[in-house]
Amino acid sequence: MVVAIGLLISASKDMGTYSSFADARQSDKKVKVVGQLAKDKEMYYNPEEDPNYFSFYVKDMEGEEHQVVLLKAKPQDFELSEQIVLIGKLKDDTFIAEDLLMKCPSKYKEEEISLRGSL
Amino acid sequence: MEELRYIGEQLLPGKLGHFLVILGFVSALLSAIGYLKTTNLRTDAGYDKGWLAFSRTNFLIHTISVLAIIGLIFFIMINQMYEYRYAWEHVSEDLPMRYIFSAFWEGQEGSFLLWMFWHVVLGGIILLNKGKWEPPVMATIAFVEVIINSMIIGVYFTDAFKLGSSPFLLLRDTMDAPIFNNPDYLSMIQGNGLNPLLQNYWMTIHPPTLFLGFASVTIPFSFALAGLWMKEYKSWLKPVLPWALFSAGILGTGIVMGGAWAYEALNFGGYWAWDPVENMSLVPWLILLAGIHGNLIARSTGYSIKATLFFYLLSFVLIIYSTFLTRSGVLGDESVHAFTEMGLEWQLVLFILIFSALSTWMLARRWKQIPAPEKEEKLQTREFWMFIGTLILLFSAILITFTTSIPVYNKIFDGIGFLVGKDMSHLHRSMPVDPEPHFNRYQLWIAVFVAFLSSIAQVLRYGGRSWETYQRRLAGHLLISTIGGIALFILIRLWIDTFTWQNAVLLGAATFAVVSNVDYIVRFLRANWKSIGSPMAHLGFALMLIGVLASGTNKRTISRNEFAQASLLDDVDARNNIVLIQGKPMFMEGYWVTYRKDTIIGQTRKFLVDYKRVDPDGDTVEAFTLLPNVMYDKQFTKVSASNPDTKHYLGRDIFSYIHALPAAQMDAEEGRKQEENLDFHDYLIRPGDTLTLQTAAVVIDDLVMQVRDPEYDRRPGDLAFSVSVKARKPGQQEWHHAAPGLVARQALLYRFPAQVNDLNLRLELPDDGLNRVYTPEDSLAYQAFTLQQGETKEIDGIVYQLIQLDRIARHPDYIAEEEDVALNAIITVQNRNLPGIDTLRPLFFIRGNIPYHLKAYSPSRGIHLRFTNIDPVSETFYFEAAVDPDMNKPVTLRIAERVPRDDLIVMEVIEFPGINLFWLGTVMMMAGLFLSMYTRARKPIP
Repeated sequence: MVVAIGLLISASKDMGTYSSFADARQSDKKVKVVGQLAKDKEMYYNPEEDPNYFSFYVKDMEGEEHQVVLLKAKPQDFELSEQIVLIGKLKDDTFIAEDLLMKCPSKYKEEEISLRGSL
Repeated sequence: MEELRYIGEQLLPGKLGHFLVILGFVSALLSAIGYLKTTNLRTDAGYDKGWLAFSRTNFLIHTISVLAIIGLIFFIMINQMYEYRYAWEHVSEDLPMRYIFSAFWEGQEGSFLLWMFWHVVLGGIILLNKGKWEPPVMATIAFVEVIINSMIIGVYFTDAFKLGSSPFLLLRDTMDAPIFNNPDYLSMIQGNGLNPLLQNYWMTIHPPTLFLGFASVTIPFSFALAGLWMKEYKSWLKPVLPWALFSAGILGTGIVMGGAWAYEALNFGGYWAWDPVENMSLVPWLILLAGIHGNLIARSTGYSIKATLFFYLLSFVLIIYSTFLTRSGVLGDESVHAFTEMGLEWQLVLFILIFSALSTWMLARRWKQIPAPEKEEKLQTREFWMFIGTLILLFSAILITFTTSIPVYNKIFDGIGFLVGKDMSHLHRSMPVDPEPHFNRYQLWIAVFVAFLSSIAQVLRYGGRSWETYQRRLAGHLLISTIGGIALFILIRLWIDTFTWQNAVLLGAATFAVVSNVDYIVRFLRANWKSIGSPMAHLGFALMLIGVLASGTNKRTISRNEFAQASLLDDVDARNNIVLIQGKPMFMEGYWVTYRKDTIIGQTRKFLVDYKRVDPDGDTVEAFTLLPNVMYDKQFTKVSASNPDTKHYLGRDIFSYIHALPAAQMDAEEGRKQEENLDFHDYLIRPGDTLTLQTAAVVIDDLVMQVRDPEYDRRPGDLAFSVSVKARKPGQQEWHHAAPGLVARQALLYRFPAQVNDLNLRLELPDDGLNRVYTPEDSLAYQAFTLQQGETKEIDGIVYQLIQLDRIARHPDYIAEEEDVALNAIITVQNRNLPGIDTLRPLFFIRGNIPYHLKAYSPSRGIHLRFTNIDPVSETFYFEAAVDPDMNKPVTLRIAERVPRDDLIVMEVIEFPGINLFWLGTVMMMAGLFLSMYTRARKPIP
C-alpha cells in the first residue's frame, strides 16, 4: 500500500503543465505550450531544403508571439488549426518543437453544408 | 409565418424511428422492472411464471426495437436521405457501399446502438438458456440497456437540457442555415460522408469487436451483482467464468485490433502510443483479468470471493468511465481519436455515478456476509501468488488511470472553482510531455512481476497440496526455467539490444516465463491437453513482451542520411523524414531507395518506392517495392489521408509512410497561391537563341508542330505547337530538356507548361504563341513545282529534295478510311541562310475519286508544303510551297525560376524487428482465453 502510494506520487511528478512562452524561457526542460497560429505571419516549409524543418509563428495564451520550428514535416490542414499544443523547448528566441497537437474544427465540417455539384 | 412545405422529404422513417427509440426505452425499463420483481419474488419453488413471462416479453420487444432502429438507420443511410442529419453527416453519394457499416458506427448514436445490439444478443443467449441466473442477470442487462437507450432518446426538457441525442433528427432542425428557406433544399445538398481516415476495413471490423468486448463485460458485472443480490456468494462463480473468459478474449482482441489498425493504417509509427483512448480500453481488460484470476482462486479454494466481486464490478464501471472519457470531449487536448462532443457529458457522468453507487452499495451491504476463510495463506500455494498477481494487475490499472484522468482532474478543479468563485486554472495539469517513457517506466515492472508470477503460480498447486513430495519437482522446474531462460536470454540478446538494465530484467523475466510455460505445457498437459488455455495465454504474454522489447526499443528509423543538418536541439533527434526525388536513388541505412512513379486509382494515389539492399560485392541481397499512398477528397483538391505501406518479414517489418508531398499536390488552394507567387518573365525567342537567366542558361532548339506531354492526346484538327529547349546550370555539363506546348482545339486553348525540376524552372507559352505559327492559308503565296524521286529543286533560296514516298500514310490530321489511296512524301528542306536540314511529310490521298491533300509545316523554317497531285505515268509528283510571312517573328517564352519541385515525396521509413512476436503473443493470449472459455463452458472442472 505504501509502495503503491509512493509510486503514484512519483508518477504525478511526470505530469506536465500547460505553459506560456514566458514559462518556457524559465525552464530547461521540455514543456507544453498552448497557443494559436499567427495566421498573418509567414509559414515556411520547403522539403527540398529540409524535410524536417517547418517554421511558423504562434501566439500563446498570454499574447506572446514566437517563431516556432517544428522538426517534422508540415502537418496536414495546419492552416485550419484553431489551437496548437507545442511540445519542446525555447532556445534563444525560437521555440523548437519536437511535436505538436492541433485542434481542427473543420475535421468533420460540422456546420457547413456542401451543395451538390459545387467544387 | 406560413410554414414551408419542403419537397422530397420523407418524414415517416423518422417518426417511426422516434417511436421505436421510445418503445425500446420503455420495454427495456419494463423488462428490468419485471426481472427485478421476478428475482425478488422468488420462492423455493422457483420463479414466478407470470413475471418471468412479462420480463421476457418486454426484453423481446426491446430486442425488436433495437434491431428495427438499426434497420431504419441503415435504410435512411443507404437511400441517402439527407433530410436526416445522421445520414447527411455520415454518408455521401460517393461513399462505397462496403463502408456503410463504418459510416453507421462512425457517429456516437450508431456506436451506442452497436453496443445495445451486442447486449441484446448476449442477453438473448442468457434468456434462451433459461437458467437459474436468468432473472437477476437479465435485470442488470436490461437496466444497462435502459441507460444506453436514454443516450439516443433525444428528449428535450429545456433548450439547454436534453436527454440523449436521437439519430433521427432532421437536418433542418439541427442547424440554422439560409438554405432551409428553400423548399427544394434536399435536391441541392450533398452528404458529408465518412471521414477518409476511417475508410478502411479496420473501421469495419474493429468497432464491432470492441463493442462486443464492452457489452460482454456487462455479463460478469451482472453475475457479480446477482450473486450479491441473491446472497449466493459461491454458486455464481462457476457460470460466470466462461463469460468472463469470453469477455477478456473478445475485449482483448478488440484492443489488439486497435493496435493493428494504428500500425497498419495510421501514422502512429507503432501499435501502442499510450493514447488516453487506448489506455482506457486497456484498463477494464486488466481488471477483468484480475477478476478471472480471483474467480479461479475462489472456485478452487474459497478465498478471494470479495476480490472477484470487486474486480468484476469495477471492470464494468471502468468501461463506462472509458466511454465517458472518449465521448465527453474531456480528452480534447490530449487524444488524437476521441469522438466529437455531443452534449451528453452530464448524462455520461450520471451513468458512471449510478453504476458505481449501485456496485458500492451492493458490495457494502453484503460485505460481512461474504464468506472468507480465516486460514492463513501459505507461500507455497498457487492461490497466494495468483492473488498477488491480481493485485499487481489492479495496481497497473490504477497507475494508468491515474495519469489518463488528468483532464478529468482539470474539469473537477474548474467545477470547484466555479462553486467557490475562483479561477482554478493554475491547478491544471497536462499529460506527461513524453507519455511513452512515463507509462513504460512503471508498466515495465508490472510486466516483470506478471511474467514471473505467471511462471511460478503455474507450477504451484492450489492449497499447496502434497507440498512435501512436490517440493523437489518444483525445484526441478525452476531450475529448467532458469537455465532455459538464461540460454534464451543470451540467444535473444544476440539478435536485439536491450539498452537499459531495466529492459534486460524484463527480457530475463519474459524468457524465464517462456521456458517455464513451455515446460509446463510439455510436462503437465500431456495427460490433460484441455487445460492448455492458461499456459498458452501466459506463454503468449511472455512472447508479447519479447516482441515489445524487440520492436519498441530496437525500432530503427531508416529514413535518414548522414547529410542531414545537425540537430537544432542537442538531445533531440526527431528528424525522421527524408526527401525522395522521382527516379533518383537515395541511400539510407543500408538501402538504396528509389521513388519510381505514382499511379492514381480512384481517389487514391499510390507511390511506387523500390528498396534494394546490396552487399559489399554489389550483389542485391534484398529487394522489394512498397506502395505508401495518399487519398484525395472527392473533388481531388486536397489530400485527406495518408496510408502507410509495410513490408512484412518473419523477423521484422519495414514500415513506410508519406508525410508530405509538394504543397500544390497536398492542397489545390496552396497550389494556386504558389502559382500566383511564381515570378514569371517573358522572353522573345527565336530558334538558336540562348537565354542567360539568374540560375540557368536556356538554349532554344526548335519550334515544333507537336506537343509531347503525357496529358495530351492529339486529335485531328488540333493545332499543337511547342518550343523545345535545353537548359543547364552555369558551369555544369548536363543538359535538361523541356518542351512547353500550346494546343488550340476548336475555340479552346490549352497550355502545357514544362517543368525542369533539377533546375527549378517552369516554362510556358502564353496564348499569343499561336499567332506566330498559325497563318491563314489565304495569306500564303504558294508556288507550284514538281519533283521526281531523288530529285532536288531550289525555290526562293530553299532546297527541296524528294527522298522517298511512303504508302504508310501518317499525318496528325488524317484519319484513314477504307478504300483511301494515300501517300506520304518525305521531303528534306534546307534554307540557304539557316544551318541544318529539316524533313517534312505532306500527305496526298484520294477518297471517293476526289483528291485531297494535307500540308506539312516547319515553323522554324517558315515553310508550308503541300503535296497536291501525282502523275503515275511519268512518276512525277506535284507540290506547292509557301514561305511564312511571320517566320522571322519571335515567340514569347515565359519562364519562372526557383519553382518548387513537383516530383518529390517526404517519407518516413521505420524498421520494426520482431513485431511478429508481438502479434503472435497477443494472438496466443486471446486464443488461450477462448480455449479456457471453451473448456470451462463444456466440462465442469472438479
